[in-house]
Amino acid sequence: MQCGWSLLGPLQWIRYVNKQVKVKAGKDEEHRGWLLTVDPVSASLVLVNFLDQDVGGGRASVQAQDVGGGRASVQVVMGHAVQEVQVLQEADQETTERLQSSFLPPRSRPLAPEQLHQRRAGVRRWLEQNRVPVQEDGEELLVAGALTITAPYGPEDCCSSNQIILDRVQRLIQSQPAEPPIHSTAPPNHSAALPADQPIQRLIQSHTAPPADQSERSSCD
Amino acid sequence: MLITGGNKRLNMATPVSVLRLPKGPDPNSRGFDPKSPRFIALCRTSIPTSAVSEADVEQLPKEQHARSVLRESFLRCLLSVTNKKVQFHMYERVKVEATFGASDIDVMNFQVSDLHTPIGVQKEALIRCQDVISFSFDA
Repeated sequence: MQCGWSLLGPLQWIRYVNKQVKVKAGKDEEHRGWLLTVDPVSASLVLVNFLDQDVGGGRASVQAQDVGGGRASVQVVMGHAVQEVQVLQEADQETTERLQSSFLPPRSRPLAPEQLHQRRAGVRRWLEQNRVPVQEDGEELLVAGALTITAPYGPEDCCSSNQIILDRVQRLIQSQPAEPPIHSTAPPNHSAALPADQPIQRLIQSHTAPPADQSERSSCD
Repeated sequence: MLITGGNKRLNMATPVSVLRLPKGPDPNSRGFDPKSPRFIALCRTSIPTSAVSEADVEQLPKEQHARSVLRESFLRCLLSVTNKKVQFHMYERVKVEATFGASDIDVMNFQVSDLHTPIGVQKEALIRCQDVISFSFDA
């Protein structure tokens, strides 16, 4: 039942990207939209219809959030169900840019160096208050020798190959109280997200055997 | 399937308890077992890299680059669907609405919450991608 779409390969699929296509799928479904991407694993097509443009066959929707300044309805057609793909038109520069920026994470304005420095110091202080070993390594923060935090030092900027540490540090940064004034002295044990008796070093030593660690913790109660 | 009265359809918000359907022939044979004949027949785990002949050796880096660009774009798209309401169009003209949870790496199954079905709202469900023709959401 599959047509050759799934067998075309990435080099062919990428030629369809940023074009307006008409896709026949299943028995009698037809979808139109701007092709954002094709998943190389499942050959699924991601079609975008901007709701403020008059695109033929575009689906009106009740709830839509802004996508790069407009509203969009997205249809994903599974590769195995595709019967036929037909190109209707090419995208102009504006539509291409809009498409490509639709799903990128929102880019905040780059911070000035002093702000970055303050932010870094703030995050570092918060981690230290929570008994997390952290070192400054140039522009980055090195946590417990296993995790790196790059500018602007938010939870999404944490980078580590250790899932447990990553999760803990992300939660910790997320729970950091906003903008603590530099001149105030925050209490040393201020709302640690980690339990006070479980410093992260113990976590690193025993991260390869988490069940043992948890059973130890429960027996301490 | 028991058809309830028309007015009962309005009260779809209460999740129904999980239905335990009868077991199939094998212990894991509800269609998800990778060793089941149905799975092997219908679900390839992934689309392999195209076979490289001598003439195509220089195409391989280009293909890999295209593949990674496409895949990254798709993964970002999946990231943005998380926790949004999506409508699944499946075979036999089945249209169901759910809140998207996650997909697995080979896009074989989708994990969804609050799946609205004709027999009630399933709190958590796994949808086989082979059964889905398309799904849509608002970005």
